Amino acid sequence: MADILTHVFRTCAAQSGQAPHASGGQSSSRSVLLVGDRGTSRSVLLLAALSAASQGRVKVLFFTRTQIQSLPRSAHTCLPALSPANLKMIKFYYPQTVEELQQQVASLHEPANTSPTTPSLIIVDRLQSFLCTQGGGGGGGGHGHQGEQSRAAHLSALLHDTAAFLTQLLERRTPGLAPCRLLASFQSDPEAGPADPGRPDPVLAVLDRYFPVQCRLERAGGYLEEVWRVNLTGTTEGTDHADAPQEWQLVVSPDGLIEVRSV
Amino acid sequence: MRSFLPAVAEQLFKDIQKTYEEKSQIPDDLLIALKFVFGSCAVQALDLVDKHSVTCLSSPSGRKAFQVMGGSGRLYTCFTSCHYCPCPAFAYTVLRRNEGLLCKHLLGVYLSQAMGLTQQESISDQDISTLLAGGATAS
Ligand SMILES: [Zn+2]
Repeated sequence: MADILTHVFRTCAAQSGQAPHASGGQSSSRSVLLVGDRGTSRSVLLLAALSAASQGRVKVLFFTRTQIQSLPRSAHTCLPALSPANLKMIKFYYPQTVEELQQQVASLHEPANTSPTTPSLIIVDRLQSFLCTQGGGGGGGGHGHQGEQSRAAHLSALLHDTAAFLTQLLERRTPGLAPCRLLASFQSDPEAGPADPGRPDPVLAVLDRYFPVQCRLERAGGYLEEVWRVNLTGTTEGTDHADAPQEWQLVVSPDGLIEVRSV
Repeated sequence: MRSFLPAVAEQLFKDIQKTYEEKSQIPDDLLIALKFVFGSCAVQALDLVDKHSVTCLSSPSGRKAFQVMGGSGRLYTCFTSCHYCPCPAFAYTVLRRNEGLLCKHLLGVYLSQAMGLTQQESISDQDISTLLAGGATAS
C-alpha cells in the first residue's frame, strides 16, 4: 500500500480523468509531514482521512483544534463510493492545548481506544496551532524557541512511539491493516509570510528530524483558481524502489473544489 | 530504538553487548571508541548504568517506556522507539545546536540495554499514559 497521501493524490487524479502514475514508486513511509498553506492542507488531510475510511476497515483518528464544519467539496468527486458508514470510521478529537493533545495521544494504547478496532491512521491538523502558541508555556522545557523546539520534539516522538505501538498491535490482530500511519500538517508562522529560505523555521527544523518524509505545498500561480505544486520528498529511504520526488498539482477553484492532476 | 543512529554507533552497541555477555566488563578499546563517538556523555552515561538508573516501565496494554534517574534524583521519561529526552541537554545540544546524537540519559538507555542492566517495573495503563504525556505520576 502506498503511503496515504500518494494514495489520495493518485485516487483523485484518477477520478479527474487522468491515468494514475504507472511507475511512480511506492513508498513504505509510515509518517508524512504536510508543509504548506493551512486551508489547503486541511482539505488534503480530510481527503486523506476520508480516503482511508472509505476502504472500510481502517479506523482513523483526526486531531484538530478547530471544529470540522463540513466535508471538503471534493470528497464526493474524489471518492464517489464514500458512504455514511465509512464516516463512522473517523474519530475526531478537539484538543485545545498541546498538553491536552499529548494526553489524548498518550492514552491511545489503553484498551478502550484499541478495541474493537485498532486505529491505523493518526492525523494531526496544524501542528503549529499547538506548538507555536504565544504564552502557552506550561510544561517547562526552557523559553522561546528552545521551549517550542523541545515541545515539538516531545509531541513528534510521542506520535511516533504511539504509531509504533499501534503497528505492533495491528500486526498481531489484523496484519492486513498494519502499519499504523501518521500524517500531520505544519505551516511556518503565518504572520511571517513566505518562509525565508536563509533562516529555516526552528520548529520545522525539529520536525524534519522526526518526519523525514515531507509533502510540500507551494503556490504555483493562478488568480481565480489557486494552483499548488505538491512535492513528496524523502521517500527513497528504506525502500527498494529508487523513486524520484513525486509531483502533483492541486487546483483549488474559488468555490473550494479541489482537483488533483499528476505532473 | 533503531534507525536513528549512524552505523558506527549501532555497531559499537552490538560489540559492547557481545563482549559484556562474555566478560562482564567493557574492554578499553571499546571505552575509547565510546568516548570518541559520544564525547563526555559516555562517562556520565556509564555512571548512570553503574547505578542501575535505567528502568523499563511496562503496562498491561503492552506499552513500554524507559525511565532514567538523573544524578539529582529527577526522573526522565524516554520513548522506546525514537529519541527524545525532556532534559535541558537534549533540548540544547541535540535539538538546538545539532551537535550531539544523544544526551547522557538516552545513551544510558542504549548502554544498559546492551549490558542487560535495565531494571523492570510494571505500572498501570493510566500511569504510563501520564508519564508519556510528560506528566509525573502520584507515586
Ligand atoms: Zn537527557
